[in-house]
Amino acid sequence: MDMVLRVEGLRKTYGKLEALTGIDFEVRPGEVFALIGPNGAGKTTALRICATLLTVTGGQVTFLGRDLAKEPDFVREKISYLPEEAGAYKNMKGLDYLKFMAAFYGRTAAEEKEYVDRAVGITDLGARLEDKVGTFSKGMTRKILLARALMTKPVLAILDEPTSGLDVLNALEVRSMIRRYVKEGTSVLLSSHNMLEIEFLSDRVSLIDHGRILDTGTPGALKDMHKANNLEEVFRSAVR
Amino acid sequence: MKRFMNLLRKEIRELVTAQLVVSLVFTLALFNFIGRTSRKEVEKAMGTQTIAVLDLDRSASSLGIVTGLESANFKIESMEGRPKEEAIQAAGRGEAKLLLVIPSGFGDSLQGLAPREVETYSFMRSFSLIGARSQVIIRSVISALNDVASDRFLRAKLPDHDPDSLKNPIKTKDFVIVKDRMAEGSANMVAGLVSSQSLLIPVVLMMIVIYSSQMVISAVAMEKQNKTLETLLTVPIRRTSIITAKMLSAGLVGLISAFVYMVGFRSFMGGLGADEVQAASGAGGAGIMRQLGLYFDTTGYIVLGAALFLAILVALAMAMILGVLAEDFRSAQNMIMPLMFMVMVPYFISMFADIATVSLPVKIFILLIPFSHPFLVSQNLYLGNYGMIFGGLAYMLVVFIVLVGFAAKVFSSDKILTMKLRFGKKRGAAA
Ligand SMILES: Nc1ncnc2c1ncn2[C@@H]1O[C@H](COP(=O)(O)OP(=O)(O)O)[C@@H](O)[C@H]1O
Ligand SMILES: [Mg+2]
Repeated sequence: MDMVLRVEGLRKTYGKLEALTGIDFEVRPGEVFALIGPNGAGKTTALRICATLLTVTGGQVTFLGRDLAKEPDFVREKISYLPEEAGAYKNMKGLDYLKFMAAFYGRTAAEEKEYVDRAVGITDLGARLEDKVGTFSKGMTRKILLARALMTKPVLAILDEPTSGLDVLNALEVRSMIRRYVKEGTSVLLSSHNMLEIEFLSDRVSLIDHGRILDTGTPGALKDMHKANNLEEVFRSAVR
Repeated sequence: MKRFMNLLRKEIRELVTAQLVVSLVFTLALFNFIGRTSRKEVEKAMGTQTIAVLDLDRSASSLGIVTGLESANFKIESMEGRPKEEAIQAAGRGEAKLLLVIPSGFGDSLQGLAPREVETYSFMRSFSLIGARSQVIIRSVISALNDVASDRFLRAKLPDHDPDSLKNPIKTKDFVIVKDRMAEGSANMVAGLVSSQSLLIPVVLMMIVIYSSQMVISAVAMEKQNKTLETLLTVPIRRTSIITAKMLSAGLVGLISAFVYMVGFRSFMGGLGADEVQAASGAGGAGIMRQLGLYFDTTGYIVLGAALFLAILVALAMAMILGVLAEDFRSAQNMIMPLMFMVMVPYFISMFADIATVSLPVKIFILLIPFSHPFLVSQNLYLGNYGMIFGGLAYMLVVFIVLVGFAAKVFSSDKILTMKLRFGKKRGAAA
């Protein structure tokens, strides 16, 4: 089967600053692929480009064999994106927010309802969905945003630091939500600076630092190669 | 279309907040209150007022003055029998705002053509103009008496002549010409009527522009502040649809807010009696304005409506771009200042200067501001300058298209996510 996403020689500059220096990676069908690296490594920049939000300075991104830069509308139909720092409309009830977002993707009312029902199941927030988003805690907001990113069964879900800013329990829940709901044909491209959680979450990872990819592989293969106990040690060894 | 409607519905719901409704209701209530209070004051002033009178003459003529005041609906408080100083003090203690002192020998002096002075003492307990009205009325009563007395005198001395011709040997008859139409009336009056007719246009425009640009700016800035913009931009909907939905909802809500505001303003002006004044001047003036062709027919109203509509679109597109440049809601509020300035400039210039006769650079400056054109259109409609009118409309349309194109471009570029303008803070400090 075709690659879902292929990134080749991707460069991105902000003025003089080179945020991505020509990186390559790919997301295969049905896998969870992660970019891991410290703050400022260029993860968000890469993910925003894949989500059609930023233009590329050099290189190419192809989504299902099509040039992402030339056909952003095609890509937007098939992906969903969870920004690193995201919010929902504060004056909307949680349920209304899900309905509002579902209406962009569903072709029929039945399809929209199916999406909303799935999201309600994912969030597990129950009656709290009748409250306004403005009253939600950080963890609840993150869960509803993640649920809306997964509810449409996108070909590719792009999740930027899905657990950032969450306490241990909430982060755990979010992680298991991702693992549980990606099965049904959705591929995931995510980023994290938390190297330990990535081990649990992803099928393959790329280590990224200063806009450069240091190494790519399954967590197990990377650990063997660097003779390390965990990805944190792998990263330390790779930077050296 | 379904996606667009979904977005439009959300935009409108976001804008019609409890805060907006409360502020509109508050504005209405405030105007209503001011209007009602001032109406009450006017009624009080129009109603029976007390004038203290010290008549030291008690002749037929002095009684005539008092009767005249009584028939002008004043209550007369007689200071009979007191010396002047005491009368002044007594009147000051009472509720009368004015003391009228008629000197002894007043009646005889009228007959003998040796004028004697009537004195008035106004007690200024407040400085409202309405309170000073009684003195004006006394003046007109005395002026009427002056007329009667001098007519009587002239008739006695020169029985063969009309006293009016003797007093005013030169008479005028005024005509005003606009293009090829002529009507009897004074230029002053026509200019006043035209400006009172077209003054409303910049005021209405200003209200709508201010309200709807504020709406659209905050619609974008709120998305940034609440971190919803990034998500929205990856949703399968065209950039132009996002822009259009925001502009349309802001335009609609802005229009409604401006309408509510105008209703409030009318009730406020109604309280000041402006309605009556306008109705009175309109009744006499309408005929002249019609004769001179200084009124709008249906086409005129359509053209004027189109001009206003285009101006609103231009303002919304500008506000859209400003909203993208702003980082959050607060800096968005600052962003609106230059826009307001642009709307105010033509308004103030038109109040103090004639756009047709200002110097060329100023004229170009005024013509370049899109918001001048709705105002110019109303004057050019009167004068039949259709070239100017359609030039103005075309200019606004071009400006609008350019601005929307630019807004769509900004929306599709990196700028919408990376642009951060901060006021009062250096970029370096922010990074
Ligand atoms: N809008 C922007 N303008 C200028 N520089 C930016 C912008 N966004 C990110 N950068 C810079 O690009 C680099 C990569 O940032 P980012 O992709 O956010 O990293 P990460 O998500 O891995 O923390 C950083 O040095 C950051 O300062
Ligand atoms: Mg990041």
